[in-house]
Amino acid sequence: MSKVYILGGAQTDFERNWTKEGKGMVALLKEAMADGLAGAGLTFDDVRELNAGNRVACFVGNFIAEKYTDQGHLGAFLTEVDKAFYGVPSARYEAACASSSVAVDAAATKIRADEYDVAIVVGWELMKTVESRVGGDYLGRAAYYDKEGRGIDLPFPKLFGKLADETLKKYPDLDEKRYMDALAKISVINYGNAKRNPLAQTRKWFMSFEQASTRGTETNPLVGGRLGVSDCSQVTDGAAVVVLCSEAYLKERGYENKPIIKGYGHRTAPILFDKKMSDNADSEYILPWTRQACLDAYRRAGMDVSDIDVFETHDCFTSSEYAAIGAFGLTEPGKEYEAVEDGTIAFDGSKPINPSGGLIGCGHPVGASGARMLLDLYKQVTGTAGEYQVSGAKNAMMLNIGGSATTNYVFIVGVE
Amino acid sequence: MKISTVTVIGVTGTMGANIAGIFASFGDAKVYCIGRDINKVNKTIPRIVKSVKADAIAKNLIPADFDSLEACVADSDLIFESSKEDIKVKTEIATRVGKAMKPTAISGTGSSGLSITTIAESYPEELRSRFFGIHMFNPPYTLPLCEMTPTKYSDVELKEELRKYLSKKLLRTVVEVKDSPAFLGNRIGFQFINEALQYAEKYKDNGGIDYIDALLGSFTGRTMAPLTTSDFVGLDVHKAIVDNIYDNTHDYAHETFVLPSFASQLVSEGKLGRKSGGGLYQRIKYENGLTRQTVYDINTGFYRDVIPYVFPFADKMKKNIQEGDYQKAFERLVNNYSQEAQICLSFLLKYIVYSLYATEEVGYDITAADDVMATGFNWCPPLAMYQALSTVADVPVLIKERLPEICMKIDVDHYLADAKPSKYDYRIYFKSGRKN
Repeated sequence: MSKVYILGGAQTDFERNWTKEGKGMVALLKEAMADGLAGAGLTFDDVRELNAGNRVACFVGNFIAEKYTDQGHLGAFLTEVDKAFYGVPSARYEAACASSSVAVDAAATKIRADEYDVAIVVGWELMKTVESRVGGDYLGRAAYYDKEGRGIDLPFPKLFGKLADETLKKYPDLDEKRYMDALAKISVINYGNAKRNPLAQTRKWFMSFEQASTRGTETNPLVGGRLGVSDCSQVTDGAAVVVLCSEAYLKERGYENKPIIKGYGHRTAPILFDKKMSDNADSEYILPWTRQACLDAYRRAGMDVSDIDVFETHDCFTSSEYAAIGAFGLTEPGKEYEAVEDGTIAFDGSKPINPSGGLIGCGHPVGASGARMLLDLYKQVTGTAGEYQVSGAKNAMMLNIGGSATTNYVFIVGVE
Repeated sequence: MKISTVTVIGVTGTMGANIAGIFASFGDAKVYCIGRDINKVNKTIPRIVKSVKADAIAKNLIPADFDSLEACVADSDLIFESSKEDIKVKTEIATRVGKAMKPTAISGTGSSGLSITTIAESYPEELRSRFFGIHMFNPPYTLPLCEMTPTKYSDVELKEELRKYLSKKLLRTVVEVKDSPAFLGNRIGFQFINEALQYAEKYKDNGGIDYIDALLGSFTGRTMAPLTTSDFVGLDVHKAIVDNIYDNTHDYAHETFVLPSFASQLVSEGKLGRKSGGGLYQRIKYENGLTRQTVYDINTGFYRDVIPYVFPFADKMKKNIQEGDYQKAFERLVNNYSQEAQICLSFLLKYIVYSLYATEEVGYDITAADDVMATGFNWCPPLAMYQALSTVADVPVLIKERLPEICMKIDVDHYLADAKPSKYDYRIYFKSGRKN
C-alpha cells in the first residue's frame, strides 16, 4: 500500500464569530481554502492542473449544517470557492464531532489506493448562527436524539457528566475530590496552552485552578451533573484544511521532510450511553472501544505509547480527556490522575496533551476539530507550531470522538 | 519582577474596576481596591469579578478608602492610579503615593493623555525612575492594548521588567509610546472620529451624524461606526481627548481636532451619549418593550429616527464581504465615484497616512500603529488596511490622487516608505453587518 503524506494546511482563527461578521459558509470556505492551499504550498492553478488529470479530490467534514445554516449537499460548495473546483470530485462526510476524521480517513484511503494524488480535506462548522440552547439541542443529534436528546436541556454536558459519574463508579478506589481536581487541572492546562496559540478561541480568557475547581458558582455554573462550565469545550465557528498527497506527487513537487500518516484506528461503540457503560463491564477501560481504536492505531503504526511525543485529544469535556489518558496507555486505566498530577501531560511534561489548547482552549467547531487536530500533529512533527511547539516532536497522535465516544478515530502522524 | 500585591486607586471608575480585575486574575495579585466612598467600592467588587468572569478572584480583592491609602500603598509591589482625568487630582495622589511607597515598588498611572512627566515630578526624586504611564483600553478583558509610557526619569531596566510583566503575566499587547498628548491609539482613533464628526456637520443637509456613520460602518473595517463609538465613549471624554491634542500638538491634521460647535453644545447640555441617556444618538424605550433608535439632527437640534440609508457602493461591498469576496468589495470602493464612496475611501486613506505620521511622532516602530488600532480599537489596523487596498490599487498613487491637500502639506512618500505587511489579517475586520 502507498504512503500517505501530509503537505500542510491551515485553520481559521477560532476566536471569530462569523455571524457577527455577517459572513456565511461560502466566506468561511473561501478563506479556509485560500489559506489551506497556501499552507500546503499549492495554488488554485495547481488544483486546476491536477483536476485535468483527475488526480485531486475534496473531502468535506461537517456535522450538521442542515440545522445551523439550513444547508445540505455540502460537498458541492467548494465550487463556490473558486472555479478551479469545477469538476473536482467532492463529497461530505459525517460522524458527528468526528466528521472531519471520517473525511481524513476517506481521503487517506484514496491516496493509499493510488486513486488520487492529492486529497484536500476541509472540516468546518458554523455554530454561532443560533443561541447556545438551540445549538445544544442540535448537538443532541450526535447522541440517540429520541432517547438522549429530545426535550433535554443541553444533552451533551449531561452525557459527559454521566461519564464522570460512571468513571467514579467503575474505579471505586478513585477519590472523588482527586478526580474532580484532576478534571479542573485538565481544564487549566488546556486554557493555559491556548495562550500560546494565536488562533485559539480562549487565548484572552482567564482560568485558574481555583476557578475551575470551584463549580456551582455564578461564573462557573454546573452544566451537566458534576461538571461546570470550566469543564466544557466552547462552541465556536471555524474551519480547518489539511492536504494529503501520494509519494509520487511529493516527488513530482520535490518536497522533502513531509510527515506521513503512520497508523489509524476507527471503532464505533454502542450509540446509547447506557449501553456503552454496560458494554464495558468486562473491560478495565471505561471506554473500551476508544482504547481499542488506540491499540489499532499503535498496531498499524508498529508503535506503542513510548514512541509518541505529543498528543491532541478530544477534550469536549474534561471527563473525556481524562478517559483518553488511559486509552492512550499513558497510565493504567483508573489511574489517569497520575499523569495529570505529576505533570506528564502538561506542555512541558514528557507526554504533552493538547499543546494547541484542545477543544477547551482552542475551541470546538465540531465538524472542523478532526482536521484541526491532524493539522496540529503536522505542525508539531514538522516543527512549525510556533509558540506551542513541543520541542523535538517526531511522532504525534490524535483522538477525535463523535457523540458520547461513539465514533472513535485515532491517527498517528510522524516523520519517516 | 514579582508583583504579589497591587493597589488600584480610583477603583469605582469603569477603567479602575476593570484593571483591578486584570491584576487580580492574570496577575494573581492581592489587590487593594481604593475609592473615595467605601460603600461604592463594596458595590464595585462584584462588577470586578464579573469583568473577568471568575468568582475565584473575589478573595484577591480588598476594598479600602482613601484614609487607608498610605497603608495599602506601603504594602504594595505595584500601585496603579486610575483617578479622574485631572492633573491636579493626579499630582495630589502621586504626592501621597510617593511618600508611602516602598523604594522597590513600581508606580503607574492610567491617564489617557495627561503629561506623564508632570505626574512623575510629584514623586520624590529618587522614586521618579519607578513611575510609568500604563494606559489600557476599555474593556481590557477583550481589548488587550497597553500603552506604556516611560519618562526621561524612568529606569530603563525596570521598564523592560515592567514590559515583561505586562505582556507575559497580564497578557497585554504592550506598545511603548512617547509622553505625547493622548499617546498613540487615541491620537489616531480620535483624529478619525473627530473628523467624522466634522463631516457630520459639513454634510448635515445629507443627514449628518447617521449619514456619516452609514458610510463608515463595519464594512469599512471596524466593529462600530465612528460616531456610534463617540456616543459609546461619551462626548465629554471625546471632547477632553481632542481638546488636549488640539492644545498641545501641531501637526498637519491640527484642524481636524477641533470639536464641532454642535457637539460642544451637546456636552454643555449634558447630552454625552449612551451613559447619559442620549448624545449623538438616543435610544427611546417604550413601556411595551419596543425601542426606537433616534439620532441628533444637527440642522434642527431635535432627535429623529435613524435613516436606513441605501448607498449602492456600500450595499454591494457588504454583499461581497458576506461571501468573502474582499477584493471585489475593495474594487467597488476604489472605482465608485459617488460622493459617499469618495468620502469613505478618503477617510480610509487619511487613516493610513495619519497613522504612519503619528507613529513616527509618538511611537518607536511602524508596527506600533497596527498594534494600537487592532488591540485597542478593534479597527482594521493601518498596515492591514494598506494591504487590503493594495489588492486592488497602487495605494501611494491612490493617496496622491485622492488626498492632494495632505500631499502638499507633508512628504507622503516618506511615511509610506515605512509601510510593510501587517501581522494582522484584514479579513477579520471587514464585516457586512450582522447576518439575520
